[in-house]
Formats: sequence, structure tokens, C-alpha cells
Amino acid sequence: MTLEMVWLVAWSTLVGLDLVSVAQVMIARPIVAGTVAGLIVGDPLAGGLVGAALELFALEVLPVGGARIPDYGQGAVAAAVTAAGAPRALGLGLAILVGLAVAYLAEVGIQSVRRANTRDVRRHQDELDRGDGRTIAALHCRGLVRDAVRAAVVAVAGLAIAGAASRWPPVSVGGAVLLTVVLVGAGAGVGATGAVQLTGRGLKLGWVVLGLVGGVAVVVLR
Amino acid sequence: MNAAVLRSWLRLFTVQAAWNYERMLGVGAARASEPRLRRLPGGPRGERFRAALARAAGYFNAHPYLVGLAVGALARAEHDGVTEDQVRRLRGALIGPLGSLGDRLIWAGALPALVAVGLVVAGMASPVVGAVTFFVAYNLVHLTLRTWGLAAGWRQGTGVARALTAAGLRAGLRVAGPVAGIAVGVALPVATDWIVADLGMGPRLGVGVVAALGIVLLRWVAPILGGLRFGLAAAFAALLLGWVWP
Repeated sequence: MTLEMVWLVAWSTLVGLDLVSVAQVMIARPIVAGTVAGLIVGDPLAGGLVGAALELFALEVLPVGGARIPDYGQGAVAAAVTAAGAPRALGLGLAILVGLAVAYLAEVGIQSVRRANTRDVRRHQDELDRGDGRTIAALHCRGLVRDAVRAAVVAVAGLAIAGAASRWPPVSVGGAVLLTVVLVGAGAGVGATGAVQLTGRGLKLGWVVLGLVGGVAVVVLR
Repeated sequence: MNAAVLRSWLRLFTVQAAWNYERMLGVGAARASEPRLRRLPGGPRGERFRAALARAAGYFNAHPYLVGLAVGALARAEHDGVTEDQVRRLRGALIGPLGSLGDRLIWAGALPALVAVGLVVAGMASPVVGAVTFFVAYNLVHLTLRTWGLAAGWRQGTGVARALTAAGLRAGLRVAGPVAGIAVGVALPVATDWIVADLGMGPRLGVGVVAALGIVLLRWVAPILGGLRFGLAAAFAALLLGWVWP
């Protein structure tokens, strides 16, 4: 394993932990996770681009209560590795696909960790009801370890998927461009739907429309 | 900030580590409360400490950044010697407002708004500058809220509802939705244009068509699908089309 791989696994694990368990300083946002992964592999632009694309998908996620949360951050790390060094239009679609697959894998992992935490808490109901500080500390610590293991497994699996996708791309040149078009379009659609969910219906939707008009004007006038 | 407050504050950063379907944030909230409860009469081996810790470990849910408000207020209530029943009622009464306030202020306000700013800066300057801009701006809000919450909760105790009506929070709630709406609205075309900058006009039109289909599908036809599954399904369709028609 190269030093670069060690850094990538460490970074992706930290990103996975940040999503829910530790800190939530938002290194788990794809724009941050992807850009830093891009810096590690020497292609920050590719990392930033896949981070931005996956960020469009992430705009739809409201991590309330026990909601299922795809980890687009760990997805962005794997996607940045896939996209690094590849021509933009050809590598981007495949990289976004890798990112989505890893985000799904991480989502499944988070559900397993939550179920394991629940079983652990059920086994120690009596100690919790007695206010046993040691049990509380141990449950807390085991929850952290479980999520760290989950994040590390997803990190290694994500990098393996990225490596395989870069070495044996499952698409032709035309197919790669098509994949880029479809997935960037899908991301834009998901992001727009997320924006509508954020603001609500009726007159409140006017704020999004106002922003869209401004954004299109920026694109046209640049 | 004394040692107990500092430990409590630091533990708030892992308040969701043992998140579970049984007590949700209860275990994490108890872990964060513990340094302050140790100073109850009788110390950490005393009956009051154990009883207070047992209450702290019960079912609890809130926005993670605002748990400190509850941790501070409930620890203060235990120190003030209010009855067990009052502590339980205060705890129950905080769950809804702290969840709703945090969701509206952060998850549907500051987070998407500042992500959008980061995306626009990334597209117009560089991805590194965009990521740093988002990270710094967001954490100014995040760390301020966590620190204020713990201090305000301890200061107000059972009167913590006063903290929830603070002028800063009310102003934040008023502007969070509109600002997020405008910012995300601006970011969507700017970021998408940046991502597909290398593509010709035909593929760009294709991006627009897929985006429009996505909106229709996710908004009206199959909202239950969710963005991730829609993305994976779209990718599968594109791969299939690419193989059939290379």
C-alpha cells in the first residue's frame, strides 16, 4: 500500500466519521471531501468537480432524526480517485457513478451500525436505568468504534471500486460521455428538487426562482 | 471555561456516536452531561449523581448542534434541586423545539446556503477556495451555536425557553429559508455550467433534459425514489444504452 493510499483511507475514514458520529464539521460534504482527496492524488480540479457534482445530489438530503443518509462524502473521495488524471468529460460520469455506489454502500453501513447500537443499548437497559457511568461510557465508546470500523471498511471498499473502475472502465468513449451527461443532469435535477423541499411551496418557491434567474444571468454574462 | 464545562463541550462533538433507535441521543447526552453532574452533592458515587445520570440517559432527540442547550439546562436543573418530575417534563418539552429549530436553522438554512456559496466560489475561482470558504463560514456558525447553547442552557436552567426566543435565533429563522433558497438557486446553474464546461452544446442540452426529467420524477411521479436511487437508476440506464448503442 502506497503512502498516498494510506492518506486516502485515513481521509475517507475521517470523512465517514464526520457524517454523523464525530464533530460534524462538514468535512463530509462532497465539495470538501472530494477537493481534499483530489489534492492527495494531485488533481484538485478533478476532486472539486466530482465533489461539486455529488454535492448537487447531497443538497436533497435532510439528515433529520433517524433518516437514511447516503454518505456522499466518502463517495466523493472514491470518485476523486476515479476521476484523477482522466479527461474531464470522459472520466466525470464514471467517477460520479463510483461516488453514488460508495454513498449507497455507506448508507447501508450506517443502518447496520445503528441497529448494532440499539441491540447494545437493549442489553444494558438495567445499568442505564441505574445511572451507571461506566456503562454509558462503554456504550458511547463502542458506538464510536463501530462507526470508525464502518467508515474504514467503506473507505477501503470505495478505493477498491475506484481502482477497478479506472483500470477496467465498463464503458466506451461515447458511453462515458453519455454517462457524464446523464449523471450531471440527474444531479442538477436532484439538487433542484432539494431546493424546492428546503424552501417549501407557494410564494416561498419564489426565492429559489429568484436565485435561479440570478444564477443563469451569471452563467450567461461570464 | 472550567475543566468540567470544557469536557462537556468536547463530548458534545460525539453526541451522536451511540445513536440508536431505542434512546436516540440519550446515551450521548448523558455522556456530555456527566462532567457537570459529577459536582452534585455526594459526588460521582452519590445517589443524586446516579439518579441524574439515569435521567440524562433516557430517550432524547434534538438537533446535534443544539443538544448543548438541553445538556446545560438539565444539568443546571439537577444542581438547582428541582423535582424529578420537573426534570423529566423539561427534557420532554425540549425535544420538539430543539429538533425543529435546528432543522430549520441549520439543515434547511445555513448548511445549504453556505454549501451553495462554496459551489459558486469553486466554479468562479477554484475548488480549493470554494471548499475552504464553505468550511470556514459554516464552522463559524456551527461552533458559535454549540458554544452558545451549552452556556445559555446552564445560565437559564428551567427557564431555557427564554434562550429559544433569543433575538439572534429569531432573526436567523426569518432569513434562513429565503437565503438558502436564493443561494441554492444561484448555485445550481453556476455549478452545473462549471462541471460541464468541456461539453458541447448538444450534451449540455442533454444535461438540461435529464435534469428536467429528474425534477418531474422526484417531485411528482416517484418522490419516494430519492436522489441516490434515481442517480443509480439513471446511471444503469445510461450504461445499458452505452453498451447497446456504443
